[in-house]
Amino acid sequence: MKHLKSLNKKAQLINQAVSPEEVEDVVAMQTVVGCTATTDPGWELDPFGGLGSLCQPMESDLYGCADACWWPAQVPDTMHTYPDWGKDVVKANEDWRKLDGIFEDGE
Amino acid sequence: MAPTNKSTRRTLIGSGVLLLAGMASVSVQADDARQIIRDRCLACHTESGDRSTPSFSRISEQRKTPEGWQFTINRMINLRGLDISADEKRELIRYLADTQGLAPSEAEPFRYLLEQDTNLVEEGGDPALAETCARCHSAARFGLQRRTTEEWQLLVNFHMGQFPTTEFHSLARDRKWYEIAHDEVAVKLGEQYPLLTPAWDNWKQAVKTDLDGRWRVTGFVPGKGEYDAWMSASKADDGRYNLTLEGQYTDGSPLSGSGKATVYTGYEWRATLDIDGVKMRQVMAADAKGESMKGRMFLAAEREIGGALNAVKDTQAAAVVAVMPSYLRVGESTELTIIGQNLNGDVDLGPGVKVEKLLDRSDDRIHLIAKATGSEGVQSIQVGKAELASGLAVYSELARVDVMPKNAVARIGGLSQMPKVRTAYRAVGYSAGVDGKPGTEDDLRLGYMPASWSIKPADEIAAEDKDAQFAGSIDAAGIFTPGDDGPNPQRKMSANNVGRLTVVANVEEAGKQVAGEGSLIVSVPDFVRRVLD
Repeated sequence: MKHLKSLNKKAQLINQAVSPEEVEDVVAMQTVVGCTATTDPGWELDPFGGLGSLCQPMESDLYGCADACWWPAQVPDTMHTYPDWGKDVVKANEDWRKLDGIFEDGE
Repeated sequence: MAPTNKSTRRTLIGSGVLLLAGMASVSVQADDARQIIRDRCLACHTESGDRSTPSFSRISEQRKTPEGWQFTINRMINLRGLDISADEKRELIRYLADTQGLAPSEAEPFRYLLEQDTNLVEEGGDPALAETCARCHSAARFGLQRRTTEEWQLLVNFHMGQFPTTEFHSLARDRKWYEIAHDEVAVKLGEQYPLLTPAWDNWKQAVKTDLDGRWRVTGFVPGKGEYDAWMSASKADDGRYNLTLEGQYTDGSPLSGSGKATVYTGYEWRATLDIDGVKMRQVMAADAKGESMKGRMFLAAEREIGGALNAVKDTQAAAVVAVMPSYLRVGESTELTIIGQNLNGDVDLGPGVKVEKLLDRSDDRIHLIAKATGSEGVQSIQVGKAELASGLAVYSELARVDVMPKNAVARIGGLSQMPKVRTAYRAVGYSAGVDGKPGTEDDLRLGYMPASWSIKPADEIAAEDKDAQFAGSIDAAGIFTPGDDGPNPQRKMSANNVGRLTVVANVEEAGKQVAGEGSLIVSVPDFVRRVLD
């Protein structure tokens, strides 16, 4: 990293992360139940506990960002578990109103 | 389970999770349930052992809560093509929770997840388990399971096959994740959460008490306030309990409802009630004698919105169950209501506290004006021979306010098929205690206090991004409602209405304001709502 110069805000944030160990502490332990602590990238929070490095708006590249199975506890895993989730929402940035969830409360 | 749409979901939510399970006959014979397993599960699982005490591969090596078994059966339906009727599913959940459940002491550390009270940060867990398992879902999800070591290892294998990206996340790709998870973490899980425990052996042997009868109930409903009520539970032929609930909120408005309850594992109370037109769920645990229950009641359609629920059985003995409010300021004449049952005899509010006037009294509620002249401390309340230990906090000055929940997540929604996820707040007051310094261990907890609520950006970045303007608003009752979902063209890069906010409670006392703060993340939807997150 020392030979690279950060050009944009996100890169600067990454540079500010002092050590991987510090990031790890934040990542592993500081999320509310129901949120993912996988923050590379994160769904609810970025590795710095903020929102600045998230995919925003999330609809703009939902499938690329969720990467089929990146946060399977928050975004349906279209690789194996829910292959049809989002099939009616080809372009999430346009059809986001159709986005629906997996609700297990019923039978 | 296939994704459900909004209209089907309404029906499903209406029918309720485990509440359904109560349809099963209590006289569910083990043979019937085992036959369901034989009929529905043996295409993949195998049976061994004696026919009257059979062992089913994978199934018999696990113990779980009723919700845990429901979760598993849902997974079998969704991923493995299990074909099972609703009645059979209910019967099976009931049988498995009763015969392969968790002892009360085993479920106790993780009741927040069963109660769906999830606005908290799990702390104090084993770092290896947090890094390996709790980085995607709660620690309570596996903490509420018991398995053999081999079973925990098979669960690791399931994750590898089903969610192969697990290996590529941070905290995984920089190490031999599979070897660590399979050979170390699963072994640790087998040690910490083993299939066979003395606690479960003891609970299996314990005499289970029916939970029918009259229950003196106290609780809190966001937006409505604290209430006290009587709940009657009568056991029906199907083994479920028919419930009626009648009571009042502290502002005097009535509360009335009816519903059904099912008891799993001898102590896990699950109920659905229609209360004044709103479907509510109760999740409680009964004590060993079956004479008191504690838990939470929440909106069936919105599990984040709920409050504590306590029930004390009417055993014909006198009992004081609560004082509302639970605090009394020295030198100030204050109206108090003592809630109880079979109350008779003199009222004693502890040393230095005088009953100035008895406003009205019945055998289940005493309304009075009291004044404290003594020193600070938590007093026991006595009515005749009935006593409530630590029932009333006498204090001189409010010094600290905590916002509950301290950490929370709300989620945008409303315009897509995803509902908004709101957050319900309460303020807890403290006096400074003997050392005179608020924020120290000797602070005296006074109880929940009325507060005025506001939000502000959590930091400079949140202020610059106008999070407080876009991410939502909080009402006078302390309920935060997040903003609409979808890209917002008014925001930088059309960002969603997400944000990081500080929720502020201001409690006013004697012209002085004491404020407390909580941290709120307004996030994007959680598209996967499991039975247990």
